[in-house]
Amino acid sequence: MSMFVARMVLGSLLLTGILTSSGCGYNDLQGLDEDTKAAWSEVINQYQRRADLIPNLVNTVKGYAAHERETLESVVQARARATNVQITPELLKDEAAFRKFQEAQQGLSGALGRLLALAEQYPNLKADQGFRDLQSQLEGTENRITVARKRYIEKVAEFNKMVRYFPTNLTAKFLLHLDEKANFTVADEKAVAKPPEVKF
Amino acid sequence: MRLCGRGGKAVLAGWVWLALMPGLPAWALDVPSLSGPVVDVAHVLPPATVEQLSQELRAHEAKTSNQVAVLIVPSLGGEPLFDFSHRVATTWKLGRKGTDNGVLLLVALKDRKIRLEVGYGLEGVLTDARSAQIIRNEIVPRFRTGEFAAGVTAGVRAVLSTIEGTDHVPERPSPSPSGSDRLGQVLSAVIVGVVIGLVFSRTHRMLGPVVGGGVSFIAAPWLLPALIAGGVSLLLVSLLGGWGLSAGPRRGHRTSGFDETWFSTHRGGWGSGDLSGSFGGGDSFSGGGGDFGGGGASGDW
Repeated sequence: MSMFVARMVLGSLLLTGILTSSGCGYNDLQGLDEDTKAAWSEVINQYQRRADLIPNLVNTVKGYAAHERETLESVVQARARATNVQITPELLKDEAAFRKFQEAQQGLSGALGRLLALAEQYPNLKADQGFRDLQSQLEGTENRITVARKRYIEKVAEFNKMVRYFPTNLTAKFLLHLDEKANFTVADEKAVAKPPEVKF
Repeated sequence: MRLCGRGGKAVLAGWVWLALMPGLPAWALDVPSLSGPVVDVAHVLPPATVEQLSQELRAHEAKTSNQVAVLIVPSLGGEPLFDFSHRVATTWKLGRKGTDNGVLLLVALKDRKIRLEVGYGLEGVLTDARSAQIIRNEIVPRFRTGEFAAGVTAGVRAVLSTIEGTDHVPERPSPSPSGSDRLGQVLSAVIVGVVIGLVFSRTHRMLGPVVGGGVSFIAAPWLLPALIAGGVSLLLVSLLGGWGLSAGPRRGHRTSGFDETWFSTHRGGWGSGDLSGSFGGGDSFSGGGGDFGGGGASGDW
């Protein structure tokens, strides 16, 4: 019996050795996969928040500068385009869809920037309390987007590293079928680093 | 094994991160240490004001657990206002972990910029619009006439009165649920492993325990619990498998007894106590683990 126990112990030690080198990373990968999804949801959430502010902003500006039709319409259109492109966490593997989302949001950033630059020329608009509040909310939302993106970038970098490193890449590939996820590129970051000029 | 440990991986990840990011901005102004609720690196506030404000902020914190801090720097050193402010707020970790009820008032003298950085938990009360109003109506007019002490004091008081109503009763951090969660995972890993192991025991006496232990090891979370779960299953299956072949009926009785003793001896071990900020009385002042998501407002004078 003691011989049997000794064999068992030896066997279990061997087994754990094998399993540690191959099974390692299973839970870490699962956890990081969830983390990246959560971080992405936050990015979407903040972009949505920005989109939600726009109708009010456009209406307020209209009250003072209704004749600036072109700029106002371009914002409305850019918003419609941006809200049409939704990426669910499952689609993060799709680089093309991810780029499309990026472009749509950047288009909206540009249109918003022009609208706010235009507001500079209307002192009455600038003094409007409602406009000021919207402006500060918009600025806050841009900052939140920056933070959400930064956190997403960090999580995805961590996740992608585990998907590529040995031995966790084996777990990712054969056991979990996880692929690398799309991340914001430096070019995107430069575009975002210059948010629409919000001047007070 | 070492390589797969969480610590080793983090270090490795850190190095790779550094190697991959040669383009990190060079500014990275040091975040001043949080010596008290009011950190006046630029030395523009009279000591009496610093003393007075610190007292008010500590009192507010003792009453509501909201952590409000003031930082005055001579210059941002070229770094964008929001970047620096967010970096300071998340480095100091103002507010409680989970409640995220911290606020930072940052003033950069040479840049003539002001920012209120609001923690997640207070964004609903101290909204972006309200923050902007405080900066515009309370702080900027006084700064324009050079009254820095009066401006900072008025700003801080406006912030405090805004968040006054949101009493987060100073709570002891509740024992984190992760402890029992993890225990549950280990338990289910053992159960699954034992069941599968017993099935395999029927084909071969040695195979059962090995498979059972292996399954538990893979199913359990993280290394240490996995080792324990694997070992427990291995033992259980070899014991039960043996009895199962000779004397079946005793099986259930032994299982429960063994499990109970094992878990009762391990129950205490998994809790991960969160360090919560120590503040209130005394001279010490440190953040409580609060997080900031970019809420607040900026302004200039």
